[in-house]
Amino acid sequence: MTYPDPDDPVAPARPGVRPFLQSGPQQSTGGYTPTGEQPPVGASTNTLRPFVITAGRTDGGDPDIGMETQVTLVPGAPASRLTPETRAIVAICEESPISVAEISARLRLHLGVTRILVGDLRASGQLDVHVLENDTPDPETIMRVIRGLRSIS
Amino acid sequence: MDFDPSANRVVGTARIPGGAAPKKAPVPVKIIVAGGFGVGKTTTVGAISEISPLTTEAEMTSESVGIDNPGQATMKTGTTVAMDFGVLTIDQTLKLYIFGTPGQTRFAFMWDDLVKGALGALVVVDTNRIDDCYPAVDYFERAGLPFVVGINTFNGQMSYTVEEVRWALAVREDIPVISFDARFRSSVRDALLVVLDQALDKAIRMKS
Repeated sequence: MTYPDPDDPVAPARPGVRPFLQSGPQQSTGGYTPTGEQPPVGASTNTLRPFVITAGRTDGGDPDIGMETQVTLVPGAPASRLTPETRAIVAICEESPISVAEISARLRLHLGVTRILVGDLRASGQLDVHVLENDTPDPETIMRVIRGLRSIS
Repeated sequence: MDFDPSANRVVGTARIPGGAAPKKAPVPVKIIVAGGFGVGKTTTVGAISEISPLTTEAEMTSESVGIDNPGQATMKTGTTVAMDFGVLTIDQTLKLYIFGTPGQTRFAFMWDDLVKGALGALVVVDTNRIDDCYPAVDYFERAGLPFVVGINTFNGQMSYTVEEVRWALAVREDIPVISFDARFRSSVRDALLVVLDQALDKAIRMKS
């Protein structure tokens, strides 16, 4: 397997792809994207500000990825080197389809960070993100929800 | 009530050990539960959800505007907002998510994401602090999202009548103002059914 050791808390990011992943905690995240090469800091992951994990991206990623959007694992996806956060997301998607909000809550990752990382994993072919075709709910679906709610006591 | 929230309500699905192939993803729908701090949003979500409500934190990058009025037992930081949500499996292909969201004006930018594709909203009101729900009512009116005002009666007591609350909120005639008890599943279910009625009306209007 080419996966990094799961017990290693700060497995190195794939070089050249997201080089700023492990940059320092004192770095400002207010929409700032670093441009220079920054050496990794040996601090533990939980001292990093949330958007350091996303290389400074705070724009929330793909607008199609909503809180309730369902995510599944791509069967037989090529193994790739993952960061601790993205590895955890892939692992949690193995069980059954799961929403972005549930991933965020169960992994204690900020919602915005989760959305960006899910977008990354989708782009790299690890995850299927089931974006709905139409934004507006149709009457049939609403009727099904009404019937479902009525049936509970 | 004989409902066990920890029970797995999905029946008839064989769990393959090791999780070979993920099941087909269900269609998610969502309802927003909004209101001021401490009005019973989390209680509402917890009453109807089949799982204990989960909490997700959204990082705020905008500047705080206005002043928090968190009541006694709440502590909110300026940069992170917690959102509670629950899940109700309608059937294997349809899942209802209920998101409880803070009703502060300064979080409005987050609501744009939240209400996208939402069926509707329940605005929870505490009659002791009616003002708290104004931002939510304003927002949903402007966004054109179907919503219902739900007065949480807590111990079955209300300082004001439904009519008085309607007058204070000055909502349109066609916006239902109801009372419910956030602690009881059947009461929350009925409140959500009123929201869904509004949602259905709108969906049918949009289709024709």
